[in-house]
Amino acid sequence: MKKDLTKVRNIGISAHIDSGKTTLTERILFYTQRIHAIHEVRGKDGVGATMDSMDLEKERGITIQSAATYCTWKDCDINIIDTPGHVDFTIEVERALRVLDGAVLILCSVGGVQSQSITVNRQMTRYKVPRVAFINKCDRTGANPYRVTQQLRDKLDLNAVMLQFPIGLENDLQGMIDLVSMKAIYFDGDQGIQIRQAEIPPELQDAAEAKREELLDAVSMFSDELMEAMLEEGEIPEALIHDAIRRGTLSLDLTPVLIGSAYKNKGVQLLLDAVNAYLPCPTDIENTALELDQNENEVVVSNDPADPLVALAFKLEDGRYGQLTYIRTYQGMIQKGDTIINSRTGKKAKVGRLVRMHANEMEEIEEAGSGDIVALFGIDCTSGDTFCSPGLNWSMSSMHVPEPVISLAINPVDNKAQINMSKALNRFTKEDPTFKTYVDHETNETIISGMGELHLEVYIERMKREYKAEVAVGAPQVAYRETITQRAEFDYTHKKQTGGSGQYGRVAGFIEPLVEEGEYEFVDQIVGGVIPREYIPSCDKGFKKSLEKGTLTGAPITGIRVTINDGSFHAVDSSDIAFQVAAMSAFRQGYAKAAPVIMEPIMKVAVEGPSEFQGAVMGSLNQRRGVIIGTFEEGNYTVVEAEMPLAEMFGYSTTLRSLTQGKAEFTMEFATYKQVPKGVSEELIKTFAAQKKDA
Amino acid sequence: MGYEPLVQQNPLRALNMGREHNQLGLIMARAGLGKTALLVQIALDAILRGKRVIHVSIGESIDKTKKWYDDILSTILQGHSVTRPHELIDMVARHRMIMTFKVAAFTRSRLEERLNDLVLQDIFRPDCLIVDGFDFDQTDREALEDIKNLMESMDMQAWFSAICHRSDDRVSPAGVPAPCHEVDDLFDVIILLKPEHDATIQLDIIRNFGEQVTDGKGLRLDPTTMMVKEM
Repeated sequence: MKKDLTKVRNIGISAHIDSGKTTLTERILFYTQRIHAIHEVRGKDGVGATMDSMDLEKERGITIQSAATYCTWKDCDINIIDTPGHVDFTIEVERALRVLDGAVLILCSVGGVQSQSITVNRQMTRYKVPRVAFINKCDRTGANPYRVTQQLRDKLDLNAVMLQFPIGLENDLQGMIDLVSMKAIYFDGDQGIQIRQAEIPPELQDAAEAKREELLDAVSMFSDELMEAMLEEGEIPEALIHDAIRRGTLSLDLTPVLIGSAYKNKGVQLLLDAVNAYLPCPTDIENTALELDQNENEVVVSNDPADPLVALAFKLEDGRYGQLTYIRTYQGMIQKGDTIINSRTGKKAKVGRLVRMHANEMEEIEEAGSGDIVALFGIDCTSGDTFCSPGLNWSMSSMHVPEPVISLAINPVDNKAQINMSKALNRFTKEDPTFKTYVDHETNETIISGMGELHLEVYIERMKREYKAEVAVGAPQVAYRETITQRAEFDYTHKKQTGGSGQYGRVAGFIEPLVEEGEYEFVDQIVGGVIPREYIPSCDKGFKKSLEKGTLTGAPITGIRVTINDGSFHAVDSSDIAFQVAAMSAFRQGYAKAAPVIMEPIMKVAVEGPSEFQGAVMGSLNQRRGVIIGTFEEGNYTVVEAEMPLAEMFGYSTTLRSLTQGKAEFTMEFATYKQVPKGVSEELIKTFAAQKKDA
Repeated sequence: MGYEPLVQQNPLRALNMGREHNQLGLIMARAGLGKTALLVQIALDAILRGKRVIHVSIGESIDKTKKWYDDILSTILQGHSVTRPHELIDMVARHRMIMTFKVAAFTRSRLEERLNDLVLQDIFRPDCLIVDGFDFDQTDREALEDIKNLMESMDMQAWFSAICHRSDDRVSPAGVPAPCHEVDDLFDVIILLKPEHDATIQLDIIRNFGEQVTDGKGLRLDPTTMMVKEM
C-alpha cells in the first residue's frame, strides 16, 4: 500500500478558552462521519459551558482529548493532533508543533484575538506552522468577523484575508458567500449536512464584489499566472485563486480567514475544504533531524517511504492495554514485526501492535508510511524519543533539555493520594522531560520542578483530576545557580595517615568562567604523569561532585572550566577516593577565590492591556526588579515587554488584576540566567546560612 | 564606566555629539540607506556616555528594533576588546527603552503622557529621544514645534529620521530636501545620507550647530556593517 502523501494532512486546532474548540472538533468528527451524533457542549441542564465541555471531554475522552484523531474528508486523510492547552513554553509545546504540518486557529467573533491566541500564534510562527483562521460564533450577539480579521493583522501580524463574506450576522446568520466561487452557500437539512449553493443575494452583491477584490489583490502576489489573468480582465479560473492562496499560506505570508458558527452548523464543511486545499501535506514541509553520530548535525528528512525509518514519539497515553505511544513518521515505513531503535537509549524494540486512532475506536494496521501518525503498543519510551531503523542514529529533537527554573514541595493529603501521586509523577516525568521530581532527603518532601509557575500548576491540577491525588502545595522556590566570575588557582594536598592504609593526593590547577554557554568542562594538562592516568577520572569525578552544591546558597554550579596542570601522588597511599577528595577540597579552595555569584532565572514577560494602565503596569514591573525592554501601542491597546527575575513574579497575576481592574493579562517564558544583584544576593546567602545552622 | 575608548574612537565624535543642549537632530535619506542604523549608533553612543535613551519606533515591532541594537552592539564588540561584554550588553538594556507605536497612535500628547509615566514613577529618566519613522509628510510645523517645546521642558535631546523621495525635488535654501524643507530651521543638526559610487553611503552634514563642518566631511556608512567610518 503506497499512500499518496499529498492527501495527508496533519493539523492542530488551537483556540483561546471558550472560543469553541470542543464544539468545532465535535462537528468535524460528525461531518467526517467519525461520530454519528452531535453532543452539545451547552447541554439542556444549563450548566456553565466550561464545566460542560470538560465533562464532555472526559466522557468521550478518546475523541477530543486523544493525542491524535483520524478522519477522512473528501479524499484527504486528516490527523487532528491535540495542541497543548497551556501557554508555558515547554518542550511539550515544541513537540506538538513539530508534529503538525499546519493548524487551524479558532477565534471567537466577539472576543477576537485574546492573549492566548497571541502566545500560540507566536509559537506557531517560531516553528513555521502555516495556518488558516476560523472565526467561530458568528451567530453570537456582537459578532464582528471584520474586526477580528483586522486584529489578526494588527495583533498577530498575519496577512489575514477573508475568503468568505457572511450572509447575515448574529441571530440572522444564514450562510456565507464564497468569495472564490462567488456563490452563496447555505447549510440545509438536519445539522447542516446539505450544502446548497445559490446565487448571491442582490443586496450583498456589491459588498461581496468589493471583498473579492481585496482577496484577489492580496493573493495575486503569490501567483504570476493569477496576476496575468487579472490583468486580462476576463473570467478568473477558480483553480488559479486556490493555488495562489495555497502558496501564500505555505510560505506563511498569507492567512486565509474563514467564518462560521460551529454551534449552528454553519461553515464547518467549508473549513474542512480549506484544510484540504490550503494546508500543507507532509512533503510540503521540510523537517530536520539531528545526526547524533555527526555532532548533532542537521539533516533534512526525506519523507520517502523507501528510506530508513525515522519517527518521533510525541505523546504517551495510558490505555487499557498498557502504554500507547503516538508516533509520527518522517521518512520510511513502520511495519508490524519491525525492529526499531530508540536513538536516545540505543535500545532495540520490536513493533508489536500498530494501530491507527479513530474517533472512538482503533484500527489495527500492518504498516504505516512516511508522514503518518499512528500509535504503538508496548514500547517503552518517553515522549520525545526518536525511533530509527537499525543503522541510522538520528534524533528529531535535540538531546538538550532545559533545566527547570522553579520548584515546589508537594505533600499528599492521605495514603491513597500518596499512591496516586507517585503514579501520576511517574507518568508526567515520562511525558515531559522538563518536568522533574525528586525527594528532598533533608525535609523528606517530594519536590516537583518545571519551567514556570503555571507549568507546575497544570500538573498539580492534572494530578487532582486524572489521578485523584490531592496534594498540599508548598511555596514555589526559584532554581538559583552559582557560577564564578574570575579565574582562580588551587593547589591542595589531601593527606591522611591514621593507621591502616593512608590517603594521599595533590591536585593543582585553576578554575575559570566558561565564555561560551555550557555547564562544566574539564581540561587535563597533566604532563609527565605527576598524577597517574588512572586517577585523572577521579579528579573529574571529584570536581563534578563539587558542582552539585555551591557554597553560597547550595545551588548547583554551572559555567565553569576546571584545568588541572600539576599534582603528586604516593605509590601506596594514592587511590581513586583520595584523588576525589583532593579534587573536591581543591575546588572549594579555588571557588572561594573565584568571586562566586548567584544566578537567577530571568523570564521574558509580556503584559497586554488597555493603554490607560500602561503607567501602572510599568511601575509594577519596575518595582519587581524588571528591565522594561519596550512598549507597543496601538489605539487603546498596549503591550509592555520586560525581562523579569522569576523570583519576583510570584503572585504577579493578582497584583496585575487589582492594578488594572482585571483588564490586563500577562504571559511569561524562560529567557536566560542572570546574576542576582548584590543586595538580593546577600539576603539569599544569609538565609542559606541560617538554614544550614538550623539543620 | 570604562567605555571611554569606545566613545573616543567613535567617528561620530566629529559631529560635536557630546554637548548636551536641548538639541534636535535630523537624519534624512531615501528608503533603505541606513537611517535606522545611524540612529541606533547615535543612541548607543549616548548610552555609552551614560545617557538614557528612549527609542520611539513608529510602525515597527519591539523585536525588530531590539535586533537593530543587538546587531550593531555586537559589531561594536567585535571591533573593540571589552573586558566584560555581558556587562556592556546589560548596561545598554538598562539605559534603553523601546516604544513602538502604530502609525496613528503616535501624538505629542501621548508621548508626553508616556514620558511623564516614566519620569514621575522614577522608572526611567530619559536624556535622549530617538524617533524613527516619524511621518513628516503628514505633520505640520506646529506639531513639530510642539515636540521641540516638550523636549526643552524635559531637558532632552531628540533625533528624528525622515524619508525623502527621489521624485520630490523641493529643497530649502539650506539644502534640506522635502518633506523637511519647510521645517529645517527647527533642527540643530541635519545629516543627509547619500549613496556614493563605491556603494558606501556618505554622511552629508548640512548643519552642525551652525558651525562649519570640516572634519566630519569624510564620514561614510560601510554598506556591509552599516557602521559609520571615517574615510
